[in-house]
Amino acid sequence: MATRELDPITLQVISGALDTIAEEMGHVLYRMSFSSIIRESQDLGAGLFDTEFNTLCESESTPLHIGSIPGYLHGIQASLQGGKWEDGDVIIHNHPYYGASHSPDIAIAIPVYHDGELVGFSANTAHHVDIGAATPGLIIDIPDVYAEGMLFAGTKLYQRGERNEAMWEFIRRNSRASRQLCDDLDAQIASARLGVRRFKELLERYGKDDVLTATNQLMDYTERVLRQRIEAIPDGEYRAEGFLDDDGKNRDAHLPIKVCVRVKGDGIEVDLTGSADQVETGFNVPFEGSTKVACFCAVRSLLLDAHTSEVKVPSNQGSFRPVNVIAPLGSIFNPKFPAAAEARFTQCNRMIDLMYKALAPVLPQAVIAGSSASLSFASYSGIRPEGDYWVFLEVNEGAYGGRPRSDGPDSIDNLMCNTRNNPIEDLAMHLPMICDRYELRDDVMPGAGKFRGGIGVVKAQRMLDTGFITHENERHHDVPWGAFGGTPGQVGRVELYNHADPEGTRHDHYAKFSAIKVAPDDVHVFYGPCGGGFGDPLERPAAQVLDDVLDGFCTEQHARDAYGVIVDLDEEVVDQAATDALRAQMRSSTRPYADMIVTPVIDAANDERPKMAPTPKPADKAPTTSAPAPVAAAANDDLDAVVQRLKASFGEDWSFDILRHSVIGQTVEVHGQLKANGSVARETGRINGGGTGTLGNRLQQAADDSLRRCAERVLADGHGRYAGAAGGDD
Amino acid sequence: MARVGVDVGGTNTDLVLEANHGVFVHKVPSTPADQSEGVIKGLNELCEIAGVPASEIELIVHGTTVATNITIEHNGADVGMLTSRNFRDILHIGRHKRPFNFSLHFEVPWQNRPMVKRRNRIAITERILPPDGRVETRLDEDEVMDAIALFKKRGIKSVVIGFLFSFLNDAHERRAKEIVEREMPDAYVCCSSEVANVIREYERFSTAAMNGFVGPKTSTYLNNLQKKLSEQGYRAHLRVIQSNGGISTVEACSKQAVNILMSGPAGGVIGGRAEGVLCERPNIITVDVGGTSADISTIPDGQIKIMNPRDSYVSGHPILVPMIDLVTIGAGGGSIAWIDPAGGFHVGPRSAGADPGPACYGRGGTEPTVTDAQVVLGRMDPDRMLGGDFQLDPELSKKAIQDKIASRLNMSVTDAALGIIKVINSNMALAIRSNSVARGVDPREFSLVPFGGAGPLHGVALAEAIYARDVLVPVAPGITAAMGLLQTDMQYEHARSMIASLTNATEASVSAMNDLLDDLQAECRKDLEGDGVPPDRQRYQRIAECRYHGQGFELRAEIPDGAITLANTTAIIDNFHSRHRLDYGYHFDDGEVELITVRVIGTEQVTPLKLPTIERANGAGIDHAVLFTRPTTFDDGQTVDTPRYDRGQLGAGHKVPGPAIVIQHNSTTLVPPGYVADVSDYGNLFVHRTG
Repeated sequence: MATRELDPITLQVISGALDTIAEEMGHVLYRMSFSSIIRESQDLGAGLFDTEFNTLCESESTPLHIGSIPGYLHGIQASLQGGKWEDGDVIIHNHPYYGASHSPDIAIAIPVYHDGELVGFSANTAHHVDIGAATPGLIIDIPDVYAEGMLFAGTKLYQRGERNEAMWEFIRRNSRASRQLCDDLDAQIASARLGVRRFKELLERYGKDDVLTATNQLMDYTERVLRQRIEAIPDGEYRAEGFLDDDGKNRDAHLPIKVCVRVKGDGIEVDLTGSADQVETGFNVPFEGSTKVACFCAVRSLLLDAHTSEVKVPSNQGSFRPVNVIAPLGSIFNPKFPAAAEARFTQCNRMIDLMYKALAPVLPQAVIAGSSASLSFASYSGIRPEGDYWVFLEVNEGAYGGRPRSDGPDSIDNLMCNTRNNPIEDLAMHLPMICDRYELRDDVMPGAGKFRGGIGVVKAQRMLDTGFITHENERHHDVPWGAFGGTPGQVGRVELYNHADPEGTRHDHYAKFSAIKVAPDDVHVFYGPCGGGFGDPLERPAAQVLDDVLDGFCTEQHARDAYGVIVDLDEEVVDQAATDALRAQMRSSTRPYADMIVTPVIDAANDERPKMAPTPKPADKAPTTSAPAPVAAAANDDLDAVVQRLKASFGEDWSFDILRHSVIGQTVEVHGQLKANGSVARETGRINGGGTGTLGNRLQQAADDSLRRCAERVLADGHGRYAGAAGGDD
Repeated sequence: MARVGVDVGGTNTDLVLEANHGVFVHKVPSTPADQSEGVIKGLNELCEIAGVPASEIELIVHGTTVATNITIEHNGADVGMLTSRNFRDILHIGRHKRPFNFSLHFEVPWQNRPMVKRRNRIAITERILPPDGRVETRLDEDEVMDAIALFKKRGIKSVVIGFLFSFLNDAHERRAKEIVEREMPDAYVCCSSEVANVIREYERFSTAAMNGFVGPKTSTYLNNLQKKLSEQGYRAHLRVIQSNGGISTVEACSKQAVNILMSGPAGGVIGGRAEGVLCERPNIITVDVGGTSADISTIPDGQIKIMNPRDSYVSGHPILVPMIDLVTIGAGGGSIAWIDPAGGFHVGPRSAGADPGPACYGRGGTEPTVTDAQVVLGRMDPDRMLGGDFQLDPELSKKAIQDKIASRLNMSVTDAALGIIKVINSNMALAIRSNSVARGVDPREFSLVPFGGAGPLHGVALAEAIYARDVLVPVAPGITAAMGLLQTDMQYEHARSMIASLTNATEASVSAMNDLLDDLQAECRKDLEGDGVPPDRQRYQRIAECRYHGQGFELRAEIPDGAITLANTTAIIDNFHSRHRLDYGYHFDDGEVELITVRVIGTEQVTPLKLPTIERANGAGIDHAVLFTRPTTFDDGQTVDTPRYDRGQLGAGHKVPGPAIVIQHNSTTLVPPGYVADVSDYGNLFVHRTG
């Protein structure tokens, strides 16, 4: 392989080309496919991979697919039919104990040959409606992985270009939706073949050496960006826990989830030790294909937020490297063969939500309050008069927790989930179903806060004929958390009734259930959890609360009780005097979440919680020497002088840590801590829009400013007893 | 008699006037607060330049961003909506997919910036049932009256009505509209089944809501412009170019304002196509390079492509009206080059805009832009900008590139400038690919048509990158969009959903299709006749929007002329298969083809702009056209003395050998070494490899 370093310009050109290939692959796959779960929900992933199964590029489709394909490729390698790849092979693979995300997510992988040599792989994954499992569509209460349906491990659908008719015939006879399954597999093959063609064109155009060098540099680049962000988080162990309702069989036996996020230097470790043991239903999470991928997704959303980052970081293996995941074998996040592990989404989403809760004290401007963090995934099915099955899978939306600068979005796919809903008009024109209600919940209020939690959905689906419903769902007990004084959100709810006599037949039901048989006009109603609030509700401007009341996001009573705002609905105005009085009274009395209102200032060094490692040496942490931004050094001339003075006074016996940072509009703040010879100074460096360059540059400038101010105090004190904190603490 | 095209852009308002004695062009600064001021000023000045009195202008075709700007600035009307009970939040939930996969702080346009606030979305008791549209629950008219009382109290003057399944039966929407119009006679009122009579509740409601949001202001603007024109003595018909590339009347565009959301870029695509047709190059790819963005569209066989409805979004909202299939990317002359903290090199999408503009403008900009790179490479002459009216400062370009790029990457200013051009070209080439190769089009059979002032500087590099056949530089690249306005047809479209199997068609379903086609054609005819189009100039195109049963997205298949019969449904099916193969590279022989929507497009053939031929070279050399010679750096890094030619001095048949730069008032064309530019009869330049 070439060792020559490519210039950033060529790199950018090849990066763009890779990105376009992945998007084109995803586009063909979802536009061509038949099942709504692929075409509408875009429950798929597609990309190119090198011979070591590193992701070179991946389509922007659904997060849980992104990052799962390397696991599949490793699994294929370990189980490959005939033991070797050959030009013209098309592999089908979905075995959860050979790296698959879960069995319905079938991968199609094609090896790419250039001048007779294996150079990489083109592959995609897509969620299939029915692979012949124990019950139609979705499964929960099943004894083992064999009840999940057809399992493929390294199976060749085409061998050296020749179609394996026996295998196709087998597939056709083993699914309740075999036409959709086979046509969608064809769509996957078309997409993967397109990837092969584009990969070869790229190699011909730029030369194999340059392309492979570029892909390696691009992975390093993505990794570097992520490590820089991790490095800005104070080292430490951060913990949070919650619990799941049950496993779908042993009712109300709650299952704990324990998350420990260890930040050490520029790496992150997610340790799930202490979470529930594996369960006896399909409610387990495949470790390689799902648990790890969910952690990658959590870190990427938090630290490489696509909305706030100016830079679009290439989607490749580099974003996985700084993240290590630990889950003991035999636990719900790392089950032992042959445990079933199909219904695995909710556990992942809850884990992500808990990672954010754990990191809240050190990243108060980046994390969000508790979200719905579950999934409502419903399978509706029945038998047509002609005798064949119809199966329809529906992903229902969640809601976000309140955020440091904005309300949590309402009724929208949450965290790792990002699909499209199926038009209800389209559904009713094609299936014996009709939607009776689809709007925001009005039976409960979301978490209150300076920024309120998102409101969950209510969706009522009526079956017009007999059939089956399976519901993979969670969160009827563990309430989404409120952050920094915000109040908690609301749990979800499931209702069943018959349309002929709603009031006489209406009853609540467990969140998750397997293949219950329904009669004509039976209605399944899902009420989504609502997000927790962020910040003190009394800080929410009264005018905004009035808007909420007018828009029906908040009742008049809730405005008074939770926000201390009294509105006049006839005139559509705030009663300011009454509001001021009520808010003053509320501020002076004890409120349930008031102790959380002040943003906790964590002293990373003196944190009582166990530490991973001693405080790093000054050489590792002083921004001048560790300067992550190769371009920032030029601006640091006067900083060098400061560092020289620190060295002159304290030798190597000083260290500077960034405790937290925030970006609000044009203002960038970094709160740092300088320890030297027993002195501690904490100062906030602030760039008020006057800074130049990218966000990263401005953060660096603010960090430098913080160090300068700290140094001033410590050096002025001279003898090292100064321990003041001023200006930066809110 | 004379005709005028007026295209309003972000910076300039471009005008072209065609009279018996010639074609005249003009450019004035746009007046964003009220676009009509710049339009009137430009028109008056152009009439004077051309020596044509206002009263002799017969037709004015207008391209306007007025509706688009309302969505960008989010300052449309306060809209009230009547919608089905139990479904109040269709517009709030949308398709429940976030704009980003990896983000916690994302915005949700349909929730953060709704076109109808939730307080004004009033649920009304009524229900229409699928699959036949029967009424299960009658419209509660008392509730409609209560909602109207609330709207009046809140001072609402725009009302949209969107009920579920109205594409099957619009009786409730129509009745509610009658009541609203009776009670609120001054209000702007529209139904979802009028604006987009098709299946898919969110997209249909969103389209109607957008119409209610932009309609009142757009209508006021257009009517006001018409009034001002007549006050100034213009007796011309005022017409507006729509998102689909056809033109329509002020009245129709006021009612269906949602149809002109993409009026802005439409003129350019049409203008590019017209140049291709003129030069017998029907396969073209247009690239309109502006200051902040580039619009790209692929036109196979002279046919404008319409965007798949699944992709037609405006400001984050789905809009189900036909729009020209184009992609817009953040790449233009003002795009800023920058290096991120991890060392990544980027150009755009941030732009220096017109103010401060590129560093060389000397208006305080310090960040290096694409224009600065062109200046440093000697491709743009600092003293020739707009014919020398505007002086550039090359030292400021050099300093910006040195400080922000070259010193950080440890390379020379020239290499850094070449890098900026390489990356911006790569970004544009990838966007062209996504609009061509990714849609089954082979660019080797296409000519690339670059325009906008800076377009022809990039033409050859882009054509190389996508393997296009050659480059066709329009006669006046700076005003190609305005010229396009005089090159298109009057156009009305009517569509309605009809879900039926084509593969298993029956006598009954075929007869229903024919009835529907007749209805839609009658509606188009009514519109055209309302505009005074005589029957012999009316043209109708009929389209079946189909998909394989079970798929989610339709593609357009032509319906053959004449009545549909059981026998000729196969022609529609075949058309669908080939469309599917073209778009996705694959089709299903035995797949059941399902009709979802029938569409009829009625057009009036308008006389296209006649470009005059230029004087022939007749053996004369080209030395007389040389202005001066200066060193210029090309993409291979070589710097060579490069002659500048005055485009006005070139005759038909001239061949300009590269390296060369061809200069005209509003544009510059780059001809690299190894290339030659052939001057056509009309003065277009064909740039291609030598030999």
